[in-house]
Formats: sequence, C-alpha cells, structure tokens
Amino acid sequence: MTPLDDIRVILATDCGSTTTKAILIQKVGDEYRQTHRGEAPTTVEAPFEDVTLGVLNAVTELGELSGRKLLDAEGRIIRPTRGEEGCDLYISTSSAGGGLQMMVAGVVRSMTAESAERAALGAGSIVMDVIALNDRRLPHQRIERIRQLRPDMILIAGEVDGARTDKVIKITETIGAADPKPRLGAGYRLPVIYAGNRSRRDEVTRVLGEKTSLSIVDNLRPTLEEEVLLPARERIHDLFLEHVMQQAPGYAKLMEWVDADIQPTPAAVGAILKRVATEAGINAVGVDIGGATTDVFSVFGEDFNRTVSANLGMSYSISNVLAEAGLANVMRWIPFTMEERDLRNRIKNKMIRPTTIPQTAEELVFEQAVAREALRLAFLQHRSFATRLKGVQQQRTIADSFEQDAGIESLVKMVDLDLLVASGGVLSHAPRAEQTAMMLIDSFLPEGITRLAKDSIFMMPHLGVLSQVHARAATEVFEKDCLVVLGTCIAPRGTARPGRPALAYRLELPGGEERRETLQVGEMRRHPLETGTEARVHLDPARDFDLGSGKGVPLEVTVQGGTVGLIVDCRGRPLSLSSDPAERTGALKTWIEEIGVYSPEAIPH
Amino acid sequence: MKLLCALALWVATLALAPLLEAQDAPSKAPSPPTGVQASDVPNDSGHAIEIRWKDSPDPSVLSYEVFRSPVPEETAPGTEEASWLSLGSVGPGEESWTFSSAERGVRYSFKVVATTADSSASSEIVTGESRAQWFDRDKLWILIIGGTICFFVVLFIQLASRGRKLFVRKIAGLEAVDEAVGRATEMGRPVVFVPGIMDMDNVQTLAGLTLLGYVSRTIAEYDAKLDVPVSRSLVMTTGREVVRQAYLEAGRPESYNEDMVHYLTDEQFGYVAGVNGMLLRDEPATCLYMGAFFAESLLLAETGNRIGAIQIAGTAMPSQLPFFVAACDYTLMGEELFAASAYLSGDPKQLGSLKGQDVGKLIVMGAILLGSLTATLALWTGSGSLQSVVDFLKLEMFV
Repeated sequence: MTPLDDIRVILATDCGSTTTKAILIQKVGDEYRQTHRGEAPTTVEAPFEDVTLGVLNAVTELGELSGRKLLDAEGRIIRPTRGEEGCDLYISTSSAGGGLQMMVAGVVRSMTAESAERAALGAGSIVMDVIALNDRRLPHQRIERIRQLRPDMILIAGEVDGARTDKVIKITETIGAADPKPRLGAGYRLPVIYAGNRSRRDEVTRVLGEKTSLSIVDNLRPTLEEEVLLPARERIHDLFLEHVMQQAPGYAKLMEWVDADIQPTPAAVGAILKRVATEAGINAVGVDIGGATTDVFSVFGEDFNRTVSANLGMSYSISNVLAEAGLANVMRWIPFTMEERDLRNRIKNKMIRPTTIPQTAEELVFEQAVAREALRLAFLQHRSFATRLKGVQQQRTIADSFEQDAGIESLVKMVDLDLLVASGGVLSHAPRAEQTAMMLIDSFLPEGITRLAKDSIFMMPHLGVLSQVHARAATEVFEKDCLVVLGTCIAPRGTARPGRPALAYRLELPGGEERRETLQVGEMRRHPLETGTEARVHLDPARDFDLGSGKGVPLEVTVQGGTVGLIVDCRGRPLSLSSDPAERTGALKTWIEEIGVYSPEAIPH
Repeated sequence: MKLLCALALWVATLALAPLLEAQDAPSKAPSPPTGVQASDVPNDSGHAIEIRWKDSPDPSVLSYEVFRSPVPEETAPGTEEASWLSLGSVGPGEESWTFSSAERGVRYSFKVVATTADSSASSEIVTGESRAQWFDRDKLWILIIGGTICFFVVLFIQLASRGRKLFVRKIAGLEAVDEAVGRATEMGRPVVFVPGIMDMDNVQTLAGLTLLGYVSRTIAEYDAKLDVPVSRSLVMTTGREVVRQAYLEAGRPESYNEDMVHYLTDEQFGYVAGVNGMLLRDEPATCLYMGAFFAESLLLAETGNRIGAIQIAGTAMPSQLPFFVAACDYTLMGEELFAASAYLSGDPKQLGSLKGQDVGKLIVMGAILLGSLTATLALWTGSGSLQSVVDFLKLEMFV
C-alpha cells in the first residue's frame, strides 16, 4: 500500500442491496476532496452472482465521469497512481445480500442478551432475533426459530464470570439441539461466538465444538456493573470476513482487491460518526432511513449505540410504518384533508413499487409525513435501547426518597445533542433542504441548540472505512463534502398555552445587522444564515422554558449557518398538535410558510 | 356605748321585719311551667324523647324536675298505680330535657315540676313516644361524600372493565423487580424475600405476601432461586401456598420446593441474626423486604447493602422508611405497598378502587385546603360570612 503521506487518489465503493456506489477522493491542493461519484446495479443475485461485476461497472462510470482511467485492460483496479491513471487506495463496504445477519442469545433479555445485541449491532449486523431464558418461548419454539432464520452468525452471552449456575449451558444446549446451518454456503459450519461466563467455556465447547465453528472471547459482562463489547465486536468482524464474506458470491475476489478490510455498511457509518463526534468533543445522532430498515446511531460522551428498526422503512416496510404509528399520527403532518382510502392506496403502491418517487406535491407531502413517523418511531426505539446497564446496584441517599427512577432514562438526552445528521433517500434527496430540516425537527424534536446536517450523497459508509486507514482524509471529506450543513435549530424545552411568550432573542448577524424578536408559544421563525457563517444569539427564554441551562435562564451562543439557516422553534417540547383539524392544518400551513418547506401553490386548500 | 348598741338593734329589727313576717305567712305554690311537649328526638335509633316547656314566670322557681311514668316492668307487683320516676332536674332558664334511655315504641307520660324553696307545682301531663329513623339527616354530607367516592369507584371499575387504560403512576420499586431477579439469575445467586416480622393479622404482612406472589412468579419464569425466611408460623404456611401458586401459574410446578419458605424464630432479634447470617453466607444477589418492620429494618438492609445486593423495600412504618431509603436501591413508601397489588395485577376491580379512593383523597385535600384558606382569611379580615363558611365546614360537613 502507498505510504499515507503519498496518497493522492482514493477509490471507495459501497455494495448496497440494490446499488453499488463508487466515489473518488482526490487531493486538491493540500486537502482531500470528494470529486466524483458513479453507481451501478449490484450484482450479487442471479444471474451474475458476482459482486465485483457491479463494482467494476460503478468504477467504470466513475472513470468516465472523472476522466481518470481506473481499470486496466484486464478489469483490475490500477494501483498506485500513475499520472492520470489509477488510485492509491481502494476500500469498500458491503450490505449486499442483506448485510450481516446475526442471532444473539443471552440468559436475561435485558442484561446479557441486551449486551450481546448491542455488540452485534455495533459491529454492523442486523439482529434477526434475540433468544433469552425469559423470552417466554418454550425450548422447541426457540429451536424451530433458529432453524427457520438461518443466521450468518450467532453470538452467545450469559452469566457473569464465576456465576454458580447452569443457565448459559441451557441456552447453549438449545442452540446445539437446533444444529443451526448458515444462510450462505452449504459446506461450512456456522460461526458461533461465545462471550459468556468464563468458567463455562469447557462445557460450551463440549456442546457446540463439533457442531459449529466456535470462537471464544472475553465475557461481555464479566460483572453486571461493566460491559466489555470490543473483543466480541472484533471477533464478529473477523468472522464476517473469514466466513460470511467468503461465502457471498464474488466477495473472495473483492477482498483481494481492497487495501483495508471490507466492513458492513452500518459499522462503517457508525465508525465515522463516532470519530467525528469524538474529535469535535460533541454529542451526535445519525439516522439512515432506507426502504426496509432505519438505522439510528448515537454518540453521547463515551457511549456509542446503534439500533436497526427492521420494520420501519420508506418502501418495503412502509405499510408497517402506518400500522405501528397509526393513521392519525401520519395524517397529523398533512396540511390538507386526504381520503383515508386514497392514503392507504398510496402506501400499498409504494410498497409494491419501491423505487417510485413522488410525482406531485401531494405525494411528496404524504411521503414526508410517513417519513416523519418512521423516524420518530425508530428514534423512540433507539432511545429506549440506549440506556444504562440493567441489574446494577444503585447507591441512594435520603434526598432521593421521591426521585427514584426505574432506570429507564435514556442516555440520549436531547438537550445535550449537538449534531443531528440525516441520511437516506427521503432525507438526502428531498427537493428542498428546508424539507429535510423540518422532517428532522418534527421527528427528533431536538431541544436547546442543535446543528442539523445531511449526508449529501450517502458517503458516510465510504468514509467510515477510510477513517480506519486514513483518518485525516476521512475527516476532511466528511466536513467539506459529505455533510451538507442545514443550519441550527434553537428549540426551548417546555410547554405553555399558545399565544404566551416563549422566547425573546437578539440575533447579531454577520455584517453588523441586529434583529430582536419575541416568539410566542406555537410560533416558528427562520433567519437565513449562509453556510460557513456564524451569528451570535442572546436568548432569553420565558419562565416555563429551558434551553439547557435551566428554566428561564438566559443563554448566549454562537450558531452556525447552513443552507436553511437558523430555525427558532417555539412550538414547545413535548410537541403537541391541536386535535382540531382546522386549527392543526392552519398551524402546519403557518410553519410551512415561515420555514419555506413547500411552495405555497403546492399545498391544496 | 349602750346607746349605740340599742340603736343598732332597732335598725336590725326594722330591716328583718318583712322577712320574719314572710316566714311566718303560709307558703304559696309557684306558677307551673307551661306549654310542655314531649317529642321524639329525630335522626336517631329510637331511644330518646325530648321534653320541652316554657319557663315559669315566677322568679322564685329554683329548679325544674322532670318526671316520667314507669313502664309496666318497672311497676312493683301488687301495686295498681306506679309512682312517677324522676329523670333529673335543671335550673331556671333551661327549657328542655332529653330522656335518652327510652324504649323504642313505648308511650311515656311526662310532667315537669317547678320547685321553689318550700313548694312545688306540676305541669300538665303530656305523653311522648320514641321512634327510630332510617336516616340520620345530620350526616347528610357524609352520605354525599361517601356516595361520590362510591360513584367514582364504580365508574372507574366500569371504565377499567371496558378496556379504558387508567393511569397509575409508575412505582419504581416494582418496575425494578424484573431487573433485581434478572441480576440474581445472571449471577447464579438466590433472591431473599423477607415479609416483615408481624403475623397474618397485620395488613402490611398481607400486602407483602401479595408481592411475594408476583416476585416468585418472576423468579419461576427466570428459573432463579428463592429463599423466604419468616418469623411467624402462619406466615410460613400462607407464604408456601402463595409461592406454590405462583410457580404453578408460571408453568414450573416442578421447580417449587416447600423449603423455599422456612421458619426461623418468633424472636425479633433472633430472626434478624438468622437472616443476616444467611445474607452473609449465601450472598444473595437480590433482597426484598416487604411488610411491617421495626428496629431490624436497618440491620437487614445494611447487611444486604454490604454484600452488594440489589435491595427493594416496602413498608408503611414511617419511622423505618428513612433507613430503607438510605440503604436500599428502591423503596415502596406507605400506600405504595398497598397499591402494589392493583398496580401489578391490572385487575379492573382493584384499579377502579384505587382510582376511586384517589378521588376521595382529592376531595378531602380540597376541603382541607379550602378550610385552611377560609379560616385564615376569616381571621384576617374578620368577615362574618367567611366565618360561617368555616363553621359549615367544621360543624356540618365533616362532623
């Protein structure tokens, strides 16, 4: 591989389920920039059954667009750079063929099983099912489920080190009895990772050693007070490359081409978000809404969490969004009346024709209303998953008499959130940036001061892998080309009757202009503020409102501009929309007009 | 000197002359009390008759004595006519007497005798009879308040039965039971449940055993170990039945073992010593203390804290609550212990009763608040109308 300092051209691909995306990163002057992008259909499925064909097609398109020859006559990527030919580094991610699909098992659902789930999700896998002793299923039902799902890998956790019990053996025996077979490749044994009670390793080996390809790593929960995820995550990654990738069509060849290990797409997205948040010392949340699933990532301090909402998406899973959210919740975001039958027809059409995009303004409004609910539900799931460890002894004082909580408070505290990054078709490709911003605000309900951004061309997976090899290039491209900064949202937390003052502020814009405003409850205001510029804001929330420093406590901050600018949201948190349809649509129209979400003629009367 | 003595004797003779004349004159009977009436005392169970009269105009009356006729049982055998029985006497100015030991349905005769220093005069004889009433109208407000609470209890039960979700505040201690049992499962250690040191006649012990049912069902589902040391034989017998039933409901009757619930001693500190010894030897992952506790509360909870167990306590003993709060992870305080079974079961009847009682408490709290404010304002402003509201609240509504 070319020494890091000499790397001038980087080629990165992401093999998705339907499309393989290739990007070209080049050193322009003294900094790395993403310059070109190409794509081609993924070729994992029949009749091609070779992922590299899709990669070559995408790279060919990229070469044509950039005018740079990237492939030689034999169809190999030219390395290293020779003048206007080739690249210095080639990296790739993959979620083709459904990505890495795992099943996890533990003793108690909310303890070791949850830790196993966290380890698997953090490694970029889709967790198909979680088996636990208290999952209210009988042993034969668990066995049937394991046989039916055929995961790529199983992770077993359970018990603390030295526990005097046989619970984890019971779980292991269930898996052994199921004699699980892998999804891909008939001739090899299913990879199983044991990350449970250290003193039960011999018995686990006895039960599973001959039936599966068993790996043993450190206990995920050596004590209930600590969670050690890294060894299990690394082993998942290794096994993904050694076993799963080797069985997928064409991946063995692709693995020879790349200069860094292929990563599952979600793991790469998580990696770049974590790196950026850690380097900047901020708390960040990222969301990737796809056709079938929605991934949510969060980095709060040292805590990194990822969840996959497998049934929330904008095409294959759109019916499920409606079922889970309820018709009324979807309809509340639509500023005009719509027949229920019409709405249901549209949803079913989208489900059976997943690649269609909205053709009319009405369809767009409707699709974005569904997206709001999908994002809201996915984020709710994420928040309930990202909690403190369960089963830990609490230390209390007499002052806590009336403030006992049941430990369900989420680690994702909205008022501490600094950056919210959106990705996925409905967010990244919305006709107006204002629409993306409003979808994010309505579904995530940020509190305090939060920066909003979107992934311009879904580049985060590429940059995630790149960050493992060339951190500087990854960070530079992330900041300059990947993120499209939408602006900053200022939203005081609290509620009061509509019409009462919520927030008074003084905005010092670049160039010396100064604006003073007092917003009432239920009002929103947008101040254009160009990308790359900053403004100083003196905020004075009303008695019932809090911007993170306490109720009614004034605050002075510097906010960053973006394609949308500065949005001041005084609708209150939690947000409640009027139950009166006329009042609700009236309010929606006012907000839409103020923020410029849709053109006025696009909204039917 | 002699002259002065003679003068004084003459003056004294002159002054006392009328009195001496009156004593010598024949005595004159006073005017008797008039308008005598005997009527049944309302709003009672029929054992009181009130006798009323108008004061005699004669200023020399010293007292009024009330007499009644005897009932046949009080008439001595052989006598044809019984003499009047005195009920008591009152001073002048008082115009009523309540005969409070009357027999229901018996018609009595009454007379009131005005008495002077040397004579007396009887009023006309009147009759009266006591009757029982179905309702005590003086307690109308109690009926209204009680009726309101009952109405809400029935209403909430009906709503809950029809599937309406009744909001019950989360009780952190109960929410944490799953977590506490899960900890014991993962660590392979037992769960210790202490149902207090009182017997089955104590309502807190009953509440504790209700919770034991829930906890042991969870333990059965997790296949964890349970240990219930008790200090009363009856509690042991009941506890065994509760745990057996829970294991049955969880579908694990084979895991039930009678020795899970075992007797230690009736002696308070002997029991504590026994339990503490168990805690230190077995190092359970979870300790639950639910019931009535006294001085042993801190001894138990502190030992559990030292061995690193998750501890959940619940008691209605106010004096022990601070110790539990300080030493335990979660504490069910006072009424939370009793509300627990409704909270856990989700049974419409229990939930409805809980909500109905809450309405009752709300009414009482509202009345206390209103009374305090009105009394303060009445004192401050001296307003008569405000004072009448206070009197109404004090005398009419809650008395």
